[in-house]
Amino acid sequence: MGAWVKHGRVMRSRSAFVALIAAGAASLLFDLTLPLRLPSEADWAEAAGALRGAAQPADAVQLWPVWAERARLFVDSMPVLAEEDLEEADYPGVRRLFLLSLPRTPFYSPPDAALQARGATPAGPEQRFGALSLRAWDLHAAPADPITRAAEEHEVDYVARHCVLVPIGGRLVERAPARATLHVRAGVVGERAYDANRPEIVVQVFADGLPVGSLEVPRTVRDGTGWRRLDVALPAGAAEREFVFAASSPDRNRPFCLQAWTSG
Amino acid sequence: MSDKALARTLGFAIAAVLALTQAPVGFVRDEGYYFTAAQSYEAWLRLLLHAPLQAIAQTERYWSYNFEHPGLAKLLFAASHLVWSTWLGVLPDALAWRLPAFAFAGLLSYWLCLLGLSRSRAAGVLAPLLFWCAERTFFHGHLACFDIPICALWAGVGVAFLRASGPGLALTYGAALAVKHNAWFLPPVLAVYALLLPGDQRKAMLRKLPWLLLSPLVLFATWPLLWHDPLRHLRDWVAFHTHHVHYAWWYFGQVLRGPPFPVWYPVVLDALVLPLTNALVLAAAGISLLWGFARRRLDAQRLLELGLAGAALLPFLLTTTPIFGGIKHWLGFLALLAPEGASLLVRIAPQPRRLLAVAAATLLPGLWQIVHVHPYGTSAYGELAGGIPGAATLGMQRQYWSNNVTGVLPWLNAHCPPGARVYFHEVNVESYRTYVRMGMLRPDIRYAPGPSQSDYAALQWHREFRDREPETWNAYGTRRPATGLYLDEVPQVVVYARPGLPGAP
Repeated sequence: MGAWVKHGRVMRSRSAFVALIAAGAASLLFDLTLPLRLPSEADWAEAAGALRGAAQPADAVQLWPVWAERARLFVDSMPVLAEEDLEEADYPGVRRLFLLSLPRTPFYSPPDAALQARGATPAGPEQRFGALSLRAWDLHAAPADPITRAAEEHEVDYVARHCVLVPIGGRLVERAPARATLHVRAGVVGERAYDANRPEIVVQVFADGLPVGSLEVPRTVRDGTGWRRLDVALPAGAAEREFVFAASSPDRNRPFCLQAWTSG
Repeated sequence: MSDKALARTLGFAIAAVLALTQAPVGFVRDEGYYFTAAQSYEAWLRLLLHAPLQAIAQTERYWSYNFEHPGLAKLLFAASHLVWSTWLGVLPDALAWRLPAFAFAGLLSYWLCLLGLSRSRAAGVLAPLLFWCAERTFFHGHLACFDIPICALWAGVGVAFLRASGPGLALTYGAALAVKHNAWFLPPVLAVYALLLPGDQRKAMLRKLPWLLLSPLVLFATWPLLWHDPLRHLRDWVAFHTHHVHYAWWYFGQVLRGPPFPVWYPVVLDALVLPLTNALVLAAAGISLLWGFARRRLDAQRLLELGLAGAALLPFLLTTTPIFGGIKHWLGFLALLAPEGASLLVRIAPQPRRLLAVAAATLLPGLWQIVHVHPYGTSAYGELAGGIPGAATLGMQRQYWSNNVTGVLPWLNAHCPPGARVYFHEVNVESYRTYVRMGMLRPDIRYAPGPSQSDYAALQWHREFRDREPETWNAYGTRRPATGLYLDEVPQVVVYARPGLPGAP
């Protein structure tokens, strides 16, 4: 019996020894090979050069994973986007999306399924620049015209948005071409979106004086839900209309940002 | 070499390594405040030497700053600076302030070695190495803050309770009480521990406990703020920590802003930030101690290690305690598991050659992490997290409290025109002043309160501060950074320059 117990102990020790040596070796292997899975400066420069050569109006670059923002140092030929939900992101005004990705990084999940789910199709072969991958996607987006024309960007729900700051209690009036569907997006800028016990903000939307819908923007509770959406068919009317967005809330002391366009 | 000599040698060696690698370590936000506090307390020390009665009368004036933490550590930072920088002029300011922190790191190593030596000589050597061979712990060892000092005294109180006389215990616990409020939790832990011991040991330990009643004298003696109106100051101290704010913290893709926090948050974070092998060995140590406890096979020392490790972690399992600051608030948990972990290594590889192999397998990933990531310790992640890029994909806190800005200071010094205004974002004005004082930042570079009032912006990547980058784009009219600090491609600090200024793209 004692011999069996001793044998069991020896076997456990040996197993632990082998497991720890294996864990140490695997850890070092991971650590020492990680740089090989990351792009070099030359890779970035080459990818930026390829984008420069291919750039057309209505192109944009989407980074994947979204933290790969070192790209901003190199890409100078088109807007660099870091949308976090590729299936639901709007990409207003973008026809061709270049996906610039780091496919060899840990926990990388290919974005192809999300892009395909929104109806996008590859618009060319995948190009490799060392550890970088570049592929163009056709978004097959319906033609769109902006209502809000923001030169500025503001962060809402952790993504930089081309939206216009609208004072709560105030109105934004814009004259713009009107296509079949109106799209309104809105949210509170920055961490104020999470302020506890704040009442919701309501945006009433009018086109040429007619109410066409309203958008409620409650306090954000969970990340990823702060950029609220309203998509509504516009009633028949003039090709160009006056759009009015009236934002109201008992609490006016928050930076509120709104983006709108029509498509179809 | 005797056991104590070995422990002393290890303690000195580790303190020396920390001192030699501190120069590039940036100043975390808290450290900026403690530097300022140390300067105020140093002024008080000088007054004490020249006009003692006046100094005693004016404690409020000099000690009110940073009233939320007791005096001992900051008093040591101040005294060290007074001696080594102000009087002797032989050490730069930051090194002089940080010197006592290295002494605490040495003490921690000494006590961990002693706890390990009670098992075997090899365990004595391996215990402190197991703790320090990870960039997170190594980084925190460099700071003139309280996390390593209280971690050291957490272990020290344990050693004192096991081995020291009553007065020795009172002094050690008093020092812990005078360093950080974590020490409030120690008396109940020691009492429960004593009650769990068998017969005679229980009586002996229970007889030691009343000595703790003398410990507040150390708190009082080393915290002159308490010399006038002590009750009010004690009340303010307690109230600050019982009503502490919750800072936003990114964890698996969600920003945690307030309770309830995930119950296993501290354990999961330890597993992700430590090198895999350290995490495995410390996890095995925890299981070994718990298994021994369940089978009532723990000796007095191992039982106390389990109690102290558990007590260091427990508040953060309650889901309501503030969780910001990575793993720094429960370093005592890792430290008190290290001797058992070291002992397990010796048990699975008793022969010297095999022990060498298993020690190398365990410690080399941590050494690599230090070589690869230092001095950006708050950004370090282990293999389980996929390193820094894996952690970024998982949506984990990327860094905290601004020390990584040192990665872009040389660029700013080289490119900023005279008198340039720089928005340093999370770098507080206290740390900015220290960078200037240390010669790490040109003195003519000015501190700007926001992007729109600045010529350059050094933005630290924090999930909760993502609005600062578009704000900078809007202010500068460009979306292209000039440079940045990227660790394994992951943005940490991104620098923007107004178009037309030197260094702008």
